[in-house]
Amino acid sequence: MSDKLVLDNISKVFGDGDTSVKVLDRVSLQVKAGEFVAVVGPSGSGKSTFLSIAGALLSPTSGRIFLDNKEINKIPEQKMNRIRLEKIGFVFQSANLIPYLTVQDQLLLIPKLAGKRNKNAEKRADDLLKRLGLDHRRSHYPESLSGGERQRVAIARAWMNDPEIILADEPTASLDSERGRAVVQMLADEVKLRDKAAIMVTHDKRMLDLCDRVVYIEDGQLSEQPVNETKTS
Amino acid sequence: MFLALREFKHAKLRYLLVALIMILIAWLVLFVSGLAKGLSSDNASSIQNMNTDYLVLQKQADNRLNRSVISNDTLKDVRTFVSDKKSTPLGVQMTTLTKDGSAKKVDVTFFAINTNGMLAPDVAEGKMINNTTTNEVVADSSLKDNGFHLGDIVKDQASGKIFKIIGFTKEQSFSHAPVIHMNFKEWDAIHKANARGGEFFNAVALKANQDKADQIDNSVSGVDVITKSDALKGIPGYKEEQGSLIMMIAFLFVIAAVVLAVFFYVITIQKMNQFGVLKAIGAKTGYLAKNIVSQVLLLTIASLIISIALTYGVAFILPSSMPFDLSPQLVLGCSGLFLVVSVIGSLLSLYRVAKIDAIEAIGRAV
Ligand SMILES: Nc1ncnc2c1ncn2[C@@H]1O[C@H](COP(=O)(O)OP(=O)(O)OP(=O)(O)O)[C@@H](O)[C@H]1O
Ligand SMILES: [Mg+2]
Repeated sequence: MSDKLVLDNISKVFGDGDTSVKVLDRVSLQVKAGEFVAVVGPSGSGKSTFLSIAGALLSPTSGRIFLDNKEINKIPEQKMNRIRLEKIGFVFQSANLIPYLTVQDQLLLIPKLAGKRNKNAEKRADDLLKRLGLDHRRSHYPESLSGGERQRVAIARAWMNDPEIILADEPTASLDSERGRAVVQMLADEVKLRDKAAIMVTHDKRMLDLCDRVVYIEDGQLSEQPVNETKTS
Repeated sequence: MFLALREFKHAKLRYLLVALIMILIAWLVLFVSGLAKGLSSDNASSIQNMNTDYLVLQKQADNRLNRSVISNDTLKDVRTFVSDKKSTPLGVQMTTLTKDGSAKKVDVTFFAINTNGMLAPDVAEGKMINNTTTNEVVADSSLKDNGFHLGDIVKDQASGKIFKIIGFTKEQSFSHAPVIHMNFKEWDAIHKANARGGEFFNAVALKANQDKADQIDNSVSGVDVITKSDALKGIPGYKEEQGSLIMMIAFLFVIAAVVLAVFFYVITIQKMNQFGVLKAIGAKTGYLAKNIVSQVLLLTIASLIISIALTYGVAFILPSSMPFDLSPQLVLGCSGLFLVVSVIGSLLSLYRVAKIDAIEAIGRAV
């Protein structure tokens, strides 16, 4: 199987001079098509930073990133938008919905940005909303949704553009375990079914059995451990 | 527009308030401009509307029509350069009138003209005078507010001469006084009675190009050829009054412009977070720019339309003693400026939007 996403020797230093913090120190990761990777680690260990770099939202201090075998860390910022729009689905740690769009419009905005709003897109939005149990909330604004509902909308939004890779930062943090598990299950199924890839940051150990692989981040280092080992630990 | 319209819909109250502020500012600017313009034309509409390019004045007159004295000889000299048709004498005298049978006095300005020449005013009501009458005049319609009517007999206080108003003209004032047009027969009669004697007038109106004007200025001795706007400045009090008014309007414009620009800047800055999110999910800066600008344009245009309607509405019910003159050009200019300023305000913030790092904007949960 081909590598969907390759992170090669990524380092990230915040600030400069005396106050600089090295959050990531030459970490590497390969994610294959059809693979669902979980990232765990203590708070402040750089998980969100890692994910932002993988998602072309943050440029690394050094290192290279390949998405679908194309090196993306050399691409100028304007084209980065296009890549995020077409290839990457992002679920942020906090839902970050647009306050003045209804649930349905949050999803329809994505094809709109890509310049291809049509019946297909509406159908896709409908399907996603149904699958995430948001059908009855389609014309609500984010302000009237619960935290979990918002998070589900964010997940649906990430799937809207049919991305090659989904990057999710604690997508289940504000969901009850049943709903959370359903969401992660959905992520896993979709990844398998359509040969996509996904990286999920999570604190919830109960979700890890749905993932193919778990990686640990600590002290700027990334270490791999098989799923089984994690379960027993 | 997808985002712009939905945001309007969701935050109705917020944008209604924004629109209200813009309406008020635009209204203020338009209304005060109209009043200022009204005041200036109330002062000097007779010169502003005069069908001439240049005025020939006596050299020592300091560009002041009422100080200048031009003789027939000088007119002849001038007419060696331009045809009789394109030059015509003008007499100007500020004086006081009384209405026959009443003690009330009004200040007026007499304009003596050739009634067949280019300075003849349009008569809006009644009849026009001709060159042969000896006691008929046409007056500016603002005299009607002072209780004068068609057919009224008026008396010139200085000469004691009596005239009959047979027509009313529109927008003919000089130094805030209504203008009364008469022919040169009557003009000479006044001045004979005045014992000043001799035929004279104050200026020669010229229809000519710049070259001709310069030529006359250089060749005819003892005269200055000045433009209409120079002549305006020579109306007693005109320059000072315009100075204050222009200052007032300029300040108003600058303050309104700054307020609007800052306003839109702040509104856009407040939404930085959302722009970050939009960028993170793949929106191009251009797309965001289009939405911001279309939002500002929609708001500004809607507010401008309302404030223009308000301005004209209020102007309509204004008493005629409060001169108000808002030309479509002024409204268009004003509106254009407002649009430009609002868009600049939002473009300033667009620079920030363009530079924003998506991840910074989202704000990391710690
Ligand atoms: N822009 C920044 N400037 C300076 N330091 C930063 C910046 N962003 C993150 N950091 C630091 O980098 C470290 C990693 O942050 P990150 O958000 O990646 O942690 P995390 O693993 O996602 O934590 P959590 O589980 O709490 O979400 C933290 O110590 C944080 O203070
Ligand atoms: Mg985090």
